[in-house]
Amino acid sequence: MKKWIWAGCMLLCSFAARAQDADNKSTDTDSKSTSAGYVPVVSGGLGYVYNVVGGVPTLLPQIDPVLLVPFGSHVLLESRTDFTGFFERRNGTGDYTGEIFKSVEYAQLDWLASSHVTAVAGRYWLPFGLYPERYQALWIAVFQDRPITGAIGTPNGSGDGGQLRGVAAQTDKFTIDYAAYFSTHSNTNELQASRVAGGDGSIFFPDKHIEVGGSYQRLLEGHEINSGALYAQWKPQAIPLDVKTEYDRSFYGQGYWVEGNYMLSQLPVANNLFKNLQIGLRSQQFDPLNGGGHGLPTVNTQRVDIALNYYFRDNNWRVISNYGRQFSSGNDQNVWNVGFTYRFLWPLWPGRK
Amino acid sequence: MAKQRLISKKTVLVVLAAVGVWIGAAGLLAQSQSPEAAKPAPQAAQASDTDRGEKVFANNCSRCHKPPMTIPPRITGTVVMHMRVRARLSRADEQALLRYLAP
Ligand code: HEC
Repeated sequence: MKKWIWAGCMLLCSFAARAQDADNKSTDTDSKSTSAGYVPVVSGGLGYVYNVVGGVPTLLPQIDPVLLVPFGSHVLLESRTDFTGFFERRNGTGDYTGEIFKSVEYAQLDWLASSHVTAVAGRYWLPFGLYPERYQALWIAVFQDRPITGAIGTPNGSGDGGQLRGVAAQTDKFTIDYAAYFSTHSNTNELQASRVAGGDGSIFFPDKHIEVGGSYQRLLEGHEINSGALYAQWKPQAIPLDVKTEYDRSFYGQGYWVEGNYMLSQLPVANNLFKNLQIGLRSQQFDPLNGGGHGLPTVNTQRVDIALNYYFRDNNWRVISNYGRQFSSGNDQNVWNVGFTYRFLWPLWPGRK
Repeated sequence: MAKQRLISKKTVLVVLAAVGVWIGAAGLLAQSQSPEAAKPAPQAAQASDTDRGEKVFANNCSRCHKPPMTIPPRITGTVVMHMRVRARLSRADEQALLRYLAP
């Protein structure tokens, strides 16, 4: 086994040296003209959410520190750990009691070999659909609850293994991106992962601010199933709006969500107040297949949500609120939450200014 | 916990070989047709590159979230490298961004 791994590594190194060389030739002269520093960073988000589902309240304190350690300008070690508390009232009316759950969401070594190839090794967020890679972060998500279809294509949320990603082709008019990955099975605490292989590709039109993509994944253990997603997002520059949508399908069900978020900065009255206020609308529909389950509802479910978020202090702080109504056979319920989120970004040591 | 056989030797070899070939091919491709390879001389590129950096920032950095208005220069390289991975940006876009954010 060892022998093969060494052979593989040697092969990788030789190719990588070649790829890096190609980039260095054309960019090293340019890098001299920037004062950008590569000091390690601790960033991430923290928040506190009071969540009520069907009349039952829970308190959800959360902190997600992200550690970024660069080795030169081509290799980056990045990790993110999630600590989420889950506190409910004892017997429905007593004191709040609960526990804090910890999980390593990613701990990966990225080697930015060239525009076309970044090789990733370690634990990484599975690149499937728009979540979790883009919108899972506490300080990014407009709606704190992930979409109903969130469990499709993300067994255990993260994968342990390798990934290649990068730009497949780029012109002034569009960029085509790809990611291809393989994850092994792991039962290790906090690093649990399923044996899966998959890929994601998207095309981005920068002038039109439109992105369209698709993901595919095959589970390579137990009941081997395929999962797929199609997604699109549009963020016009003329109006402070962003619209995104995703359709997901797996053996256990299919569904879609559509989300539109608008900053009220164009309101002619009390602009100072409204420019930081965001209103979000989301609609979802899910139909189980083959009994559903596996993190998905077992009955047809629809849900509509409205969010009202207020951003302040360089968008680092937010007061968030969300009201939703979920409709599913005989069990309609209200879901709402209020809370705050904070994004932090700190150099690990002073370094040059 | 019992030790599990996760992947066979053959799979490891096939995956590594595929990875190697992919990287090699992409390296060659990068050499022959990457956007940065076709760039004009540094001085001439300077002004248009700052514009490009601004454009890359405007087009990309609010795609997924509201970027902070200020990033301390000493960590700009680290953050942009992280975002290059996350947002799958090209090296040329990364360089233009660095020059725009930390001239
Ligand atoms: C594809 C989506 C995406 C794009 C495009 C994107 N970001 Fe991010 N960004 C993220 C995510 C997701 C995080 C949070 C990472 C985490 O918490 O694990 C983040 C985090 C950050 C942070 C906090 C520090 C860090 O690195 O985690 C900064 C600063 C930032 N982004 C700036 C930028 C800038 C500048 C750009 C433009 C190049 C950009 N982002 C483009 C998704 C994106």
